[in-house]
Amino acid sequence: MNSMTNIKYVSSLVENRFKVIKKEIVSEYQISFEVDKDEVHRLLTLLKLEGWIQLSYLSAIDWINDNEYELVYIVMNWEKPVHVQIRTRISRENPSMDSILPIFPGCKYYEREVHEFFGVKFPGNPEYAKQLILEGWDDIPPLRKDFDPRAYSDAHFAKREYTETFVNLNNEKSKQVKREKRKERIIRVRKGGKK
Amino acid sequence: MESTKFSLLTKEEVDRKWWEIGDFFRRNSLWMLMYCTGCCAIELPPAMTSAYDMERLGMGPMATPRQADVLLVTGYLSLKTLRRLIYTYEQMSEPKYVVGIGSCTINGGIYHDSHAVINQLDQYIPVDVYVAGCMPNTEAVMNGFVDLMRLIKSKKANGWKKYHKNNEWYKKNQIDSLGEVRVKDEFHD
Repeated sequence: MNSMTNIKYVSSLVENRFKVIKKEIVSEYQISFEVDKDEVHRLLTLLKLEGWIQLSYLSAIDWINDNEYELVYIVMNWEKPVHVQIRTRISRENPSMDSILPIFPGCKYYEREVHEFFGVKFPGNPEYAKQLILEGWDDIPPLRKDFDPRAYSDAHFAKREYTETFVNLNNEKSKQVKREKRKERIIRVRKGGKK
Repeated sequence: MESTKFSLLTKEEVDRKWWEIGDFFRRNSLWMLMYCTGCCAIELPPAMTSAYDMERLGMGPMATPRQADVLLVTGYLSLKTLRRLIYTYEQMSEPKYVVGIGSCTINGGIYHDSHAVINQLDQYIPVDVYVAGCMPNTEAVMNGFVDLMRLIKSKKANGWKKYHKNNEWYKKNQIDSLGEVRVKDEFHD
C-alpha cells in the first residue's frame, strides 16, 4: 500500500472527530497532531481500535518561555507503517496529566521516567512516583530547563585541578625552530624548489 | 656445618623474594575484568583479536571479579555505574590493579558538566594507569598495558595498598558524591 494514503487515512480519521490545534506531516511515515489535554485519552483509544496498538514512546518537552510542558505520545501500527505523535500542552505549575494506563499498560515505565525527569504527576498510575533511573535524587528534576547541571556537577563531584604554569623539567631546548625549518623544507621540496 | 657463602635470609627478605617471583608470574598473565561502561570499550576488540593480539602479552579476559587481576574502566561513569564499580572493585582478590581508559576517567571529558557523570575516577578508587584520549588509539591502550606491567615490575603499582591505607578518605569521597554506596533499586530490595 502506498504510504501517503496511510497518512491521508489517519489524518482524515483524526480530523473528522477531534479538534486538532496543529497538524504536521513530518515524513511519509510520521505525522503529528497537537490536541487539547482532555481529548488525548479518547484519541489514543480511537487509534488503538484502528490498529495503532503499540505505544512506542512517551516523553515530555519543557517550554520554559511558554510556562508549559509538552507531552508527546508516539503510537505505532504494525499493518500501516505510520508513527502517530500525539502532542499536548500542560501547565508548568503543578503539572499533572491523567494516566493512560487503562489504554496502554506499557506506559507504566514511561510515566515513571517522565515523572522522574520532569516532575509531571500521573494520577491513575499507582506507582508513578517510584524511582526508576536516578538513585536517591535530591534536587529538582534534572531535565527541566531551570535545572543547572554544571552547578550540580560542581557541587557534587570533585574536579581535577591543573597548575597554570608548566615547567621544563629536563632543561631541554625548544625544538620549535628546528621543527618549523623542517616544515618549510618539506613544503619547498613538495613545490619543486619554488618559494 | 654452616655455609660460608650464603647467610640465612631474614623473614622480610624471604617475603620480598616471594613477592618478586609472584609479581613475575602475575605480570606475565594478567586477567582482565572489563567494565565496559563507555565508548572506549570499542578499542578493546581490536586489541584482543588478531590485529594487535593482546594474548601475546599474556592478557586474557575473565568473567568474574574474584579471579581477575586488572579492572579496566573504559569510559564515563555515571553515579549508578560507580556504585556497581565499587562493589566489583571490593570483590576482587588482591593484588588488584585498575586501568582507566579515556579522558572521562581523568577529568570528565565531554561529560564534565553533566549531572549524572562523575569527573575524577581516582577520587573513589585508586587508579594505577591512565590511558588518555577521547578515545585512545588501540596502540595507546596496548601501551598502557605494557606500562602497567613495568609498574608491577618496579613495584609501583600500589593502588590496592593505597586503598587500604587511605580507606577512610576514599569512603568519604564515595559518600560525598553518591550519598550511599549501597545499591538500592526495585530489583535488589
